Amino acid sequence: MRLLYLSYLTLVLSAFTIPLRAESPEILFDRDIRPILADKCYFCHGPDKEHQEGDLRLDLEPDARAVIKAGAPNESELITRILATDDSQMPPKEAKKELSADEISRLKQWVEQGASWSQHWSFSAPTKTATQAVTTHEVIDELISKQLPHGVLAAEASKEKLLRRVTYDLTGMPPTIDELDAFLADRSPGAYATVVDRLLASPGYGQRMGLAWLDAARYGDTSVYHADGPRDMWGWRDAVVDAYNKNMPFDQFSIAQLAGDLLPEADQTQKILAGFNRNNGTTDEGGAFAEEYRVEYAVDRVKTTSTVWMGMTMECAQCHDHKYDPISQEEYYKFFAFFNVSSDGGMQTRRGNAAPTMDVPDPVKQKELPAVESLLAASKTRSKEISDNCGPTLEKWIMNRKLQETEAIPLPKGCLLHLPFSEGKGKKVKGELRLDKPASDDSPSKPQITADIKGKVEWIADRNDSTLKFNGSNWVDAGSIADFERTDSFSYGGWVKPAKNGSQGAFIAKMDDGNNYRGFDLYAGESPVSVHLIHTWPDNAVKVTTKKKLESDKWQHVFAVYDGTSKASGIKIYVNGEEWEWNIEQDRLKDTIKTPKTLLIGSRHPGSRLKAQVDDIRIYDRALDLQEVQRLADADPIAELLAIADAERTDAQTETIKTYYLTTENEEYPELIKNQKEFQSKIVELKKPLTTVMVMGNQAKPRKTFILNRGAYDSPTDKEVSAGTIAALPAMKDDAPKNRLGMAQWLFSAEHPLTSRVTINRYWQMLFGRGLVSTPEDFGVQGDFPSHPELLDWLAVDFRQHGWDVKRILKEIVLSRTYRQSSVSTVDAYLTDPENRQLSRGSRFRLQGEFIRDTALTLSGLLNEKIGGAGVRPYQPPGLWAEVGLSGNPRFTQDHGDKLYRRSIYTYWKRSAPPPSMQIFDAPTREKCIIRRARTNTPLQALVTLNDTQFIEASRHMAERLMREGGKTTKERLRYGFRLATSRYPTPTEIEVLQRIFVAASKKYSDTPEAAQELLAVGEAKRDESLPLNEHAAWTIVSSSLLNLDETLTRE
Amino acid sequence: MNPIQEYELQMTRRQLLHRGRGCLGAAALSTLLAGSPQANGAPGPRSSANPGLAELPHFPGTAKRVIYLFLAGGPSHIDMFDYKPAMEKLHGTELPDSIRNGQRLTGMSSGQKTFPCVSPMFKFKQYGERGTWVNSELLPHTASIVDEMTIVRTMNTEAVNHDPAMTYINTGTQQLGRPSMGSWLSYGLGSENENLPAYVTMISRGAKAGQALFSRLWGSGFLPSKHQGVQFRSGEDPVLYLNNPNGIDPETRRQMLDGIAELNATRFNDVGDPEIQTRIAQYEMAYRMQTSVPDLMDLSSESEDTYKLYGDDSKKPGTFAANCIIARRLAERGVPFVQLFHRGWDQHGNLPKELTTNCKSVDQPAVALVKDLKQRGMLEDTVVIFGGEFGRTIYSQGKLTETSHGRDHHGRCFSTWVAGGGFKQGFDYGKTDDYSYNIVEDPVHINDFNATILHTLGIDHERFTVKHQGLDAKLTGVESPRVVKEILA
Repeated sequence: MRLLYLSYLTLVLSAFTIPLRAESPEILFDRDIRPILADKCYFCHGPDKEHQEGDLRLDLEPDARAVIKAGAPNESELITRILATDDSQMPPKEAKKELSADEISRLKQWVEQGASWSQHWSFSAPTKTATQAVTTHEVIDELISKQLPHGVLAAEASKEKLLRRVTYDLTGMPPTIDELDAFLADRSPGAYATVVDRLLASPGYGQRMGLAWLDAARYGDTSVYHADGPRDMWGWRDAVVDAYNKNMPFDQFSIAQLAGDLLPEADQTQKILAGFNRNNGTTDEGGAFAEEYRVEYAVDRVKTTSTVWMGMTMECAQCHDHKYDPISQEEYYKFFAFFNVSSDGGMQTRRGNAAPTMDVPDPVKQKELPAVESLLAASKTRSKEISDNCGPTLEKWIMNRKLQETEAIPLPKGCLLHLPFSEGKGKKVKGELRLDKPASDDSPSKPQITADIKGKVEWIADRNDSTLKFNGSNWVDAGSIADFERTDSFSYGGWVKPAKNGSQGAFIAKMDDGNNYRGFDLYAGESPVSVHLIHTWPDNAVKVTTKKKLESDKWQHVFAVYDGTSKASGIKIYVNGEEWEWNIEQDRLKDTIKTPKTLLIGSRHPGSRLKAQVDDIRIYDRALDLQEVQRLADADPIAELLAIADAERTDAQTETIKTYYLTTENEEYPELIKNQKEFQSKIVELKKPLTTVMVMGNQAKPRKTFILNRGAYDSPTDKEVSAGTIAALPAMKDDAPKNRLGMAQWLFSAEHPLTSRVTINRYWQMLFGRGLVSTPEDFGVQGDFPSHPELLDWLAVDFRQHGWDVKRILKEIVLSRTYRQSSVSTVDAYLTDPENRQLSRGSRFRLQGEFIRDTALTLSGLLNEKIGGAGVRPYQPPGLWAEVGLSGNPRFTQDHGDKLYRRSIYTYWKRSAPPPSMQIFDAPTREKCIIRRARTNTPLQALVTLNDTQFIEASRHMAERLMREGGKTTKERLRYGFRLATSRYPTPTEIEVLQRIFVAASKKYSDTPEAAQELLAVGEAKRDESLPLNEHAAWTIVSSSLLNLDETLTRE
Repeated sequence: MNPIQEYELQMTRRQLLHRGRGCLGAAALSTLLAGSPQANGAPGPRSSANPGLAELPHFPGTAKRVIYLFLAGGPSHIDMFDYKPAMEKLHGTELPDSIRNGQRLTGMSSGQKTFPCVSPMFKFKQYGERGTWVNSELLPHTASIVDEMTIVRTMNTEAVNHDPAMTYINTGTQQLGRPSMGSWLSYGLGSENENLPAYVTMISRGAKAGQALFSRLWGSGFLPSKHQGVQFRSGEDPVLYLNNPNGIDPETRRQMLDGIAELNATRFNDVGDPEIQTRIAQYEMAYRMQTSVPDLMDLSSESEDTYKLYGDDSKKPGTFAANCIIARRLAERGVPFVQLFHRGWDQHGNLPKELTTNCKSVDQPAVALVKDLKQRGMLEDTVVIFGGEFGRTIYSQGKLTETSHGRDHHGRCFSTWVAGGGFKQGFDYGKTDDYSYNIVEDPVHINDFNATILHTLGIDHERFTVKHQGLDAKLTGVESPRVVKEILA
């Protein structure tokens, strides 16, 4: 067995290497020699200054020339040392870097042939080689054919297989029967191009491209380290899908990904796309060192950025000069400096998004906004009209009013919570609570709440009846109410009589001191009045404090009104119905203020206790206006104003009287004002974000960057560096900003040799299963030499010259004859070139896990085509999260209904325990950037598609389709099913095999109808009860078999 | 990865035998598969499904397989193995700065004003010919076999928090995205067994669920996912998706698979892609796993003596004890790397009570495993490892009372024991100071330890590399760790 294996290996080895060499006996330095030098010599004779032995560098031509005599291997020390058998032998034995006989002979040949030298291929700018062909797709064929043994491409794939291939490659889905029929019927020369255009314009295109981008961006729905708690980055994911669908040019797309936050006049999309480098894992581990992780995040961002856009393994230079590529440790830290000034912290939350974040508006609500805004404007115009024309009647009214008693105005309506403090005894406080919005104040029975007094109970008869005294060690817990978000408008306050020398304390608060003071409060005492709205104090919070102080030992009505804008300017503080001026202490609120803590009177959780008497607290879930607050403060809003002589009143005072008059006397005006309030709150509601997304942000005062000794966060050297790029690559423009934006733009400069090559190579990999460079993550000296260097360069230039137009370049590639070749070939051909490096046939490879699941959903007709939104949790075996979660949490809760059938790009991605049916098919955990997935073939994969509830449920629904749509006879239905799964018609033999499966299963389920019942109950989707049980079960077995065919699982 | 290696990995025996354009019927296939090597215990040739690398082993090793008992959370080396009578005098005294020596403390105890040392609140005795100290209350069984094992008292790691430390010891680096030890071995050595994965993990818990685990700890990183650890679980579905769905009996499944194999073979004839034959073989292996895994997990054939040996817990599926029996059964079937994760060893507080619970659930089964392997003649080529990601501090975290205290994380030294597979028997290695805080002699970095494990398997850790992003990635990192030959027999 072992022997057979070994001899076989030799066969593969020679089969693999000989054709390459036979075609090109000439030694190419870049392809044949540098990889040997890099692999075997650079460790000691390369760019790393700390490991340069004998002052010899074999990565530099002049140095190397000193040990090479062109044309004379025996006189070249390079060769003689390699051939030496004594102590002078290179590489030294202890280095364990032995050269193979083939490598030695290549080196000798190279010296014999004159030892030509060139710069590493990927560091010089690509150029277009001269070609006979003109269009891009013809150039591809020309340059591919040129390297084929006979210069001829294979025959074209059948129309069915071609449609299936291109549909998967561009949308991740199989073609429908209608699409197949339409394509087969279209005999025009442009039929295929029409299909390609249709696919590129379909929403599936963005999802397919987005999915590949998510691996690169290490996208997930959780935070990775330690608790691996939830976060919301799906707004970013949706923006990526949308950008692909809108064919945003790749340079613009990339610049937004890397620096959307820094773009002057960035639009909403650009700002959201700047979440790319916030997808990295973050920690919340109690014992972690924040600085260690902050540095780790920057390291990860350098690595991801350099991998995705440059195919460079920069991370090697974090600890020492790169051993193979021209990147010094200093240059690494120059690049690192772009990310070292990010404002997000080393410790981040395990619950939700960490600052900086930005709101993602709800597109549906956004559409309603203009209509409401215009209604508001019209209503305002009308009320202004009334106001402007009321002069004469107003004067008359003022005359009369001075002679009358004041009438009682009703209290403002819609109170959410009212605590009157009228009990006068006991440990409980009763309150009225409005549970839902429509309930009116007039409803006969209002729900009551009972709040507990904690600590000492001290009732004092005062004001109207009784009041409660707070002495700094007692408070009232009103429970889980008033759970306001920063985007809600609300008003709250009441009567307070501050104790003498009672400093500031929490009058009303729903705030968690232990979680960076998240929540809101009203802060009072014998002191100024403050309002806090806090996500995390002090960096993500609003605080205003009045200039005047409350008086001690005197009842005062204190009320705060907030309009939901997240700004200090949205807060008003009224004392006795008069608006007090305030100073802003913080005005940087960007994230949620919601906290699970309860609402307290007289305290926060757990500190800042109040020393004062308190009475009659009210909370409204809207912003009250001045008059409403005045009414609550028992203030007659205009008595004082009327007392002023007409001539001495200020304009503002006159305006107040006028408003009061219109509100109380005009027939139309109060309705208008009421409407305006409703419109305004509707607008606030419509402006509420759908979600938030974490985005990159730079510090206001950027931190300095020092080279870290051996990359250790706690060993900075005293060598400071400024942000910059690598000397081996073209320089940044002098006037470019030296920040992420400048760096992102630099990647897309015309001279940059890597960006376009690396990107084209990834597209090639996506469409052929393997890149022209088989190491898409490494274009450096240790990476793979391109199989078709001229083609890679030609396409790279073409892509840039056509404005980085992604859809165009993909279209050109799939239009090529190379792409359209049939994958039907010989076993020998497959064994000789298993990876299809020479592209002498169409590529054939297993679909990725997401596509396999999406195929089952499509063929069953269960697929829910909804685009975007928060991640969903389809079926998965129980217990997987709890088995690994911190203290067994969180638990997985499966979704139901149509959320079970979303495309797999929308599956919730928990990074410490990713969806198993995807992971088994080589999906990465997404903890780190991956741009090339492994593609294995394992028994566990068979178990998924044979047994997973998702696939069985899909099989029984596919069975329903076969029975409903497939025709009357068994054969017709088998043909239909086979065609659904593979896109082609089955042969008679294939029908025969399928029929055997059907007949056997039919018999089984006729004999055991209870088994049929069980099978058809797998999964939550309802079965069509009109179909006969045993027949339905038998077709389910057929469908499941079809879903498990190699041909169904393979894109070919 | 090197394309040749990659291709080699994809090869199966069937591809080798059927390089021609012959049709491969299901019947022929089952004949072929019937001859698969899967004998109990006897080391057979490697499975064609996972043959490993041709150049491995580099030299004849002393071990063929590893069973790693991983106590997640940071077991207290001070309270289990690294005891010194002098400690009693230190009880309640402040940890001197000269000992702490500027050591960084985790965020959980860095705010403490005092650092009072705690001598273990347990009894210790000297055991074995060498008179080594072991906690006689908590680890009576372990104490009884100290002459079987090497105790390394000077394990050390730079990491002091769970997530990085567990990632480090399991993958050789704190960076994410690297293959775990078991994946490396699956990739390099392959497996003898056609019907079971080369790397199996199981999870159980002690005093509490405790610290998080991550699938990356048994993940395959940049290696193909077929090398990732397959988690076996107690209950009806011991491997994810193993069971046929309700309503599909084995006969129906067999008929389906025969049909699928036939259709796939037809396709292979038309297309020529050998990967189709691999797929046929994988479906067959899946079918065989449906029988072989439940057989493996079904402990009903185990004798009463075995249950007695492993303790009462061993009859309860999902316990550490039951998992230990399964680990032995896996070893018998030629599975080269089995890792049992036992959770709940993070005693920041309430240490005496929780440690008692934890030790009770692992002491007897772990020892039983060693004895059981020995009586079956398998201990000499099986390495059994018992340890966690770091140790704990001599000083109390939180309040020190007469009966309780906690300890914070400590990476500068901790203890791991190892038995069988060519390790010395009855040997202690490494010395720590009186405070079990610093290493005085013979440090063993976690990567030294991993390099030593590889050595026993016949692998030169420096030559066992995979090209990844331009580098020769190794399980043992970049710092050139050493094989600790002193602890090898």
